[in-house]
Amino acid sequence: MTDNALPRPSHAAGQTQWNRNRMALLAALPLLLFLLLFFVGPIGGLLKEGFYRDGTLSLEHFRHLAVTPIYRIVLGNTFTIAAAVTLSCVLMSYPLAYLLATVRPAVARVLFFAVLLPFWSSALVRTSAWIALLGKNGPVNALLTGIGIIDQPMAFLYNFTGVMIGMTHVLMPFVVLPLYASFRAMDNALVQAAQSLGADSAGILRHVVLPLTSPGVVAGAIIVFMNAVGYYITPALMGGPAQRMAAELISYNITEELNWGLAAALAGVLLVTVLLSLWLFNRLFGLDKLISGSAGKGSNTLPAGRTPGGRLSVLAGAVSALFLVLPILIVIPMSFGTSDFPMFPPPHYGLRWYASFFADSKWLAALWSSLRVGLMVTLCASVLGTAAALGVHKMPSARKGWLDALFIIPMSVPAIITAVALFYLMAPLGWVANSVAVTIGHTVLASPYVYITVRAALRSFDPSLELAALSLGASWPSMFRLVILPLLLPSLIGGAVFAFVTSFDDVVMALFLTTIHNRTLPKLMYEGLANDFDPTVISASCLLIVATAVILVANLLLGRKKES
Amino acid sequence: MQASVHPQHLASRPERQGKEVVLSSIQKSYGTAVALPDLSLVVARGEFCTLLGASGSGKTTLLKIIAGFEAPDAGSVSIAGKDVTRTSIADRNIGMVFQNYALFPHMSVFDNVSFALRMRRLNRDDIKRRVNEALALVSMEQLRERLPRELSGGQQQRVALARALVFRPDILLMDEPLGALDKNLRQAIQLQLKKLHHDLGLTVIFVTHDQDEAMNLSDRIVIVDQGRIIQAGAPEALYRAPQSAFVAGFLGECNFIEQAPGQVLGIRPESVRVGTQLSAADMHHEGRVVTSTFCGLHWKIFIEALGRTIVAYAPAGTDGADRTPGQSVAWGFRSEDAMAFSAP
Repeated sequence: MTDNALPRPSHAAGQTQWNRNRMALLAALPLLLFLLLFFVGPIGGLLKEGFYRDGTLSLEHFRHLAVTPIYRIVLGNTFTIAAAVTLSCVLMSYPLAYLLATVRPAVARVLFFAVLLPFWSSALVRTSAWIALLGKNGPVNALLTGIGIIDQPMAFLYNFTGVMIGMTHVLMPFVVLPLYASFRAMDNALVQAAQSLGADSAGILRHVVLPLTSPGVVAGAIIVFMNAVGYYITPALMGGPAQRMAAELISYNITEELNWGLAAALAGVLLVTVLLSLWLFNRLFGLDKLISGSAGKGSNTLPAGRTPGGRLSVLAGAVSALFLVLPILIVIPMSFGTSDFPMFPPPHYGLRWYASFFADSKWLAALWSSLRVGLMVTLCASVLGTAAALGVHKMPSARKGWLDALFIIPMSVPAIITAVALFYLMAPLGWVANSVAVTIGHTVLASPYVYITVRAALRSFDPSLELAALSLGASWPSMFRLVILPLLLPSLIGGAVFAFVTSFDDVVMALFLTTIHNRTLPKLMYEGLANDFDPTVISASCLLIVATAVILVANLLLGRKKES
Repeated sequence: MQASVHPQHLASRPERQGKEVVLSSIQKSYGTAVALPDLSLVVARGEFCTLLGASGSGKTTLLKIIAGFEAPDAGSVSIAGKDVTRTSIADRNIGMVFQNYALFPHMSVFDNVSFALRMRRLNRDDIKRRVNEALALVSMEQLRERLPRELSGGQQQRVALARALVFRPDILLMDEPLGALDKNLRQAIQLQLKKLHHDLGLTVIFVTHDQDEAMNLSDRIVIVDQGRIIQAGAPEALYRAPQSAFVAGFLGECNFIEQAPGQVLGIRPESVRVGTQLSAADMHHEGRVVTSTFCGLHWKIFIEALGRTIVAYAPAGTDGADRTPGQSVAWGFRSEDAMAFSAP
């Protein structure tokens, strides 16, 4: 090291602080504008309808909701069902989360797959699997009558039981995952300590496990309640007239009654409930919790031996896991049946319903439409979400809270409200017929996922790496290209996959924002289930399950490669 | 693990690489919190200058201003006589070693070290040659293909050092770079750092809160508190002639005895004499031994006296009676060893 002169870095002087702040705002601006234009604005417009009657300001629609028996019953139903589903999710999640957190890693991986596969596969796929399973001639009734527990087939569907089974299945992972994190963060030595101090199983549960895991369970419960209140598909398909929920009534008022005012008032009630839940979540845990994914890990020593209560929990956990994965496992052989309605086990195996999927142009057209919309949404959501995450990350902290909230809310607001609001705005423009509407709607729904994953990655990003690169002579663009982007890539891919799956699985938006000509696969499946049962839905579901499993495994492998 | 500087670099000491740094009247506030009220400092060419202070003292803010990560509200920074206050980080030609090293996790050791050279668009052969030289300087040539996470803490430290030196910076800034290492490793790297500083003639500005580290490494220590320079000087000068009770207590151990109101005497433990060591001319006090520990070179005796605990370092051969807990003991000091301060 003798010669002294080295060339200086070959670029113009760097940016000033002021310039950087402006860049941050500029990066967050596209998503901000997009959401103002296609989320806040339309929903505001819709809600306004609730306060007008015949052109004058009035609370008539809300009074109508309060005094008409049918509306009172439906609103009562909505909250009762949401609360009941929340409770059953919590009860079933506890043993499963315990099981996940205390088994050997290899077993835990298999169990995780059992939780994540239903979590990632479309709600519609799961609902159709349950309908096939629980029908009068379905395998569950066949089993029960076969072994003589009951004489007559039991009615599981189109009643409260059906709604509970379907919704618990769909929403349970939202409790299992945070609860699992709580269990992992809990030091196993605490249980041993409690045992050594003379606590029995019930004592350990009451004094050690419940207090330490309650934050996880409350967080999960709020998310489940928030989702359940606005649920549309599952109650509509698996419940009867007595289980109608608010979302279904919104749809009914718009498509059948053309009563926008009443629909808007109902949407207002739902929206307030959801925002209150979100506010509560923020007060208790901070929206940060939604952004920063996994919790810290305590000691990972496996328990030396299980208490009797622990063994009972393991059994209950296994039952919960089975409940989650069974419909998906049973529906696959059913799809290879050849009879006119699905049976398990099928008397004859064949490809009849796959043939009908690939032979009928309407199914292929719907698949193509879904793929096209999904890819477009992935692209838009990734660009908007990533830019916004970068922008907010760089902003002075005062503005961050508001933008974080605004960018996260769209995924918490029931899809039916956003769908109806966008329909109201775009149907007159003709955007429903050309897929622009559904692409925009899905982007509203999917951008938060990209935003959250990238934002979480940026938070764990060490800011001194950026300073190091700049001090070594990198310009801002080359620093971004050589340092930030490569380190962000795994999360970006994860967010994009989320965005694609969100779009590909959605039914509610598609119901309102597409026509018979550009309908997506889930919409066609919904029609196949809602009108009269077309077994092609089952084969379509299986194709989606396989696609989901492939994406999930690929993502897991990618994640593991990153870790090693 | 023990790393040594390559012999060929020891032979000749090249012309000093370092440049002079002058900070004049630097002011910096964050909102209403004043980090640096008005600070001036000159770091001479080739000097190893340590900013020593507790966390929140403003030393890291100062380092960031020198590096160009933050701009001062007022005042100027010049390097080698050139005002660089408004110059971007990249153009200041400053090497920086970060507290957590900030090695790029997705790049190999080679790619990390070559980063600055690639940014300066050197040709491939030059890059290779210079990176190898820099890695040889810290004895890391063998591990150039490794990723940072495959290295131990000490190895990462050395890569960070090589990365900061490879582009021949005018100044090397180090922000608590040894904080994450265990004690033995820290000493080995301190030694290596001192050698590198000597051989390359670098100007080093080093930030730490660890007084031993500051004493071991520095030509000059600058003690910073609440954004102000309390005292600056060579380690020995600071230790022997602290200007305030704060400096005396911050750098090394010191017993404080209240004199008249508003006046305290500071006595270093090694100046406290116990029992038979006392001579007639010394100041005399009485006390009781609380406990004593053997430290190899000396006994450390804790004496309860004057309403406080006095620490004394007594010779290893000190009489058992003078260090038995519960014993009354006479202690004192030569009046010329006592340092008078106004009370803090």
